[in-house]
Amino acid sequence: MWLYPQALSYQEQNQLFLFTWDYLGERLALPGGLADWLSEFLVQFFYLRWAGTLIMALLAVLMQRAVWRVLGKRNYLCSFIPSLLLLIYMGNVEVLLSYPVALLLSVWLCPLFLRAEWHRLWLIPLGWWLCGPVIVVPILLSALRGRKRADLLMLGWTALTFYAEYRLLAPQYPFRDALFGLNYYRLVESLPALQVIIPFVTLLCILVCGLPATFRKPFPAGIVALALLVAGTFIGVRISYDKDTHETLAYDWLIRHERYADVIKRAEKYQPHNPVSACSVNFCLFTQGQLNERLHEFYQCGTEGLILPSIRDNLSDITSEELLWMMGMPNITLQYCFDLQESIQNGRKSGRFMSRIAQCNIVNGWYERAERYLDMLEHSLFYRKWARGQKALIQNVDKVAADPVYAYIRSVRFRDDFITQYEALDLMMALLYSQNNRNFMAAQYYEAWQQLKSMEDAQ
Amino acid sequence: MKRWLPIFVACLLAASCAGSTSYEDVLPEIYPDYIGVTVPVGIAPLNFNLPEEYDRVLVRVTGSKGGELKVSGRWAAFPIKKWHRLTAQNAGGFLSFTVLGRKDGQWTQWRDFILYVSEAPLEDYGIVYRKIAPGYTTYSRIGLYQRDLHSFREEPIIESTLTPGQCVGCHTANATDPSQYMFHLRGKHGATLIQQDGEREWVTTRTDQTIGNVAYTYWHPGGRWFAGSINPVRQCFWTGDQRTIEVFDLASDLVVMDMNDHSLVVDPRFTTKDYLETSPAFTPDGKWLYFCKAKAFNVPQMVDSIRYDLVRSSFDEETGALGDIETIIPASKKGKSVSFPRPSYDGRWLMYNLADFSVFPIDHKEADLWLMDLETGETRPIDEVNSDFSESFHNWNSTSRWFLFCSRRDDGLYVQVYLSSIDADGHCTKPFVLPQENPRKYYHSTLYSFNVPDFTKRKISFDTRGVYGEVFSDERVQATVKE
Repeated sequence: MWLYPQALSYQEQNQLFLFTWDYLGERLALPGGLADWLSEFLVQFFYLRWAGTLIMALLAVLMQRAVWRVLGKRNYLCSFIPSLLLLIYMGNVEVLLSYPVALLLSVWLCPLFLRAEWHRLWLIPLGWWLCGPVIVVPILLSALRGRKRADLLMLGWTALTFYAEYRLLAPQYPFRDALFGLNYYRLVESLPALQVIIPFVTLLCILVCGLPATFRKPFPAGIVALALLVAGTFIGVRISYDKDTHETLAYDWLIRHERYADVIKRAEKYQPHNPVSACSVNFCLFTQGQLNERLHEFYQCGTEGLILPSIRDNLSDITSEELLWMMGMPNITLQYCFDLQESIQNGRKSGRFMSRIAQCNIVNGWYERAERYLDMLEHSLFYRKWARGQKALIQNVDKVAADPVYAYIRSVRFRDDFITQYEALDLMMALLYSQNNRNFMAAQYYEAWQQLKSMEDAQ
Repeated sequence: MKRWLPIFVACLLAASCAGSTSYEDVLPEIYPDYIGVTVPVGIAPLNFNLPEEYDRVLVRVTGSKGGELKVSGRWAAFPIKKWHRLTAQNAGGFLSFTVLGRKDGQWTQWRDFILYVSEAPLEDYGIVYRKIAPGYTTYSRIGLYQRDLHSFREEPIIESTLTPGQCVGCHTANATDPSQYMFHLRGKHGATLIQQDGEREWVTTRTDQTIGNVAYTYWHPGGRWFAGSINPVRQCFWTGDQRTIEVFDLASDLVVMDMNDHSLVVDPRFTTKDYLETSPAFTPDGKWLYFCKAKAFNVPQMVDSIRYDLVRSSFDEETGALGDIETIIPASKKGKSVSFPRPSYDGRWLMYNLADFSVFPIDHKEADLWLMDLETGETRPIDEVNSDFSESFHNWNSTSRWFLFCSRRDDGLYVQVYLSSIDADGHCTKPFVLPQENPRKYYHSTLYSFNVPDFTKRKISFDTRGVYGEVFSDERVQATVKE
């Protein structure tokens, strides 16, 4: 996260935490629901980069402290391993915060499980329901420490309660997903190995922290161990953090905050060779009035790198929808935003995309539809103020017409109703400019489109 | 009921003692609009909300044939059993609603309104529908659900969480009987699930002689055959501020499938590139197959030139052969387009959609429901149920005295299911939206549309776990083309 804090923004824009009882109820309806709800509560603060960084750091520290304290505050270095492994694992931006949160809750529950004896009969199903499968950490710890017949029975009880909870709470999910966690990873049909490994390593670290101190003389063995830890983390992070993905996320974050010049500066040093990055850099070049002059200085991949076609994922089309909105194509923007939001594979909504969907509806005069989204955003923390402002605005049609953003989009959009085609985007841009020569964005993009097309034809 | 009376009276008294109850001689602004609708006996309670600024509502319901019910709360929520008793007691009569609402500590009483209770029973278990985000090409969650019409209970049949990456849809039972039904799964492991008397089979209906899998299907009443149209569906998008999406078929053909040997009857007359055939539906006697037919144009450029006529062919249930094509409604000549013909199961009526063009009325604001009298051939728009927004995807209940349809009238985008009844003369009653426990909260906060609803006579029993294993096993019955 210290390398790419922009990943925090990606997490935030792929969920929409609502302060409603229904929202809590929806989360608690599934195993692991409390951890999921808590993590989404925390992730909403990722809207502010400093808050997100602080939360991540706090979680790492709390995890280290929790592991260290369970059995006896020994072998200090070992207690860092779970936090560092989580740091490495979260280089994969699809890992949800509910995973470290659930693991932390589980480690916190370890002392309780160690003392619980027969109370584990209700603690196990409760823990599974609230934290999900990582609750195996305290379950296994108590069994390993006890090593009695009752502890073996508890393992059987764990399997039984898990299956019962699965049938009861998650019958519409594949068994494998329920077994390894429904809310730990955003993508469906995939299970990273670290998701399975980390709880067992955590358990091992807890046990090691309870053993007598390994090194009687901290120096030099302790220093060597520390060096190994640092080196391992460094290598793990390098492997885990895909540079191009994080760089693309950085562009997105900067564009979201209208820091267009910074994108160009970054791209001058390093630019990922993918259409999303090309689209982002080209858009930033336009905002700086350099699109047609500097087009050839950066990576290009044909006209696709100017405006991407509709792609079914939750990231690729963000810049395209942004520029299509500015250019005066609210219906394609609506399509892109809707698909971006629906491409969030764990079924969450997005405050960022939903805000733009509401705007597209407002610009079209579909106020009742917009109100549905605004009402929802009103229950969030960081979109509330904006949503309330928009709700007040749409109560008065004249005010909407006078609003600078909506007035501009309405003035530059198509005057005729016709079918759009991605293949004919250049003609559509030409039409936009011919309709309204204030729309110089359409003109510049048209010109850039022709340049890139010529390059493609020449190849 | 008697124990509520003192509470209600006390509330009224308290309100009147405060000297703050005013009377307005207008109908209350309730959501959903249940004023003057006709409901069947035993329907789920028609709970309703007052506008949000009212923090309390008092309702007294009086039956024309007796019975009374009083409720108070943040919205009008009626207890199910008492509501059922009241509607049963007043079958053929009406219920009168006295409504008081409190805003800023002030109570207001409005003019009473009436709700009619039909004598026509609706004994079917409930309805089946798909819930999907009303949008474009992508969906994060999608599922088939069954809803008990007599309560608020909704159960998933299958959700996309179970079969990630696969789209589920187009559930079709044989005349509302769930002992024979099918739905399609699209995606990497796609196939058509056909369940007959509890036995499931997964069929690949695409063959090397057809252009794809069947999409819109309809069972022959005998159960041996089903007709299906093959529709490679695409979307395109409008630039204006009146509409966004247009759905069209790249091509579409009509086939009939023999369930005895999973063979398709492919008639070259219905598989030409020049014409599009879609939305087949058998008459209840099984002798005719109605469907829509249009001249093909280049799409998407000329999508607004595609207009479907309603046609029919005789059907030979021994061989599956279709007879000569007879045009029933030449809508294209009048610049209109027919879709989704649905004969009533008693053979008396045929309901269909009429829009300005295209085959997907849900995205057409002007799309309305029309009714054809199959005895006289007369046809008319059903003004009793149509609105300024799209009406589409209608279906009959097992007795054909009730029908349901989808409408976007609430906000122009999110689709809701409405129910209405029809009498022997073809008069329909004012429709009511599918009741919900807290209607405003439900309908205003959902991000899903109701899609392809149909009645189901009984609750569908479905082995979710078994289906999960079968989907990913990819063991499929391959349909063949009948020689």
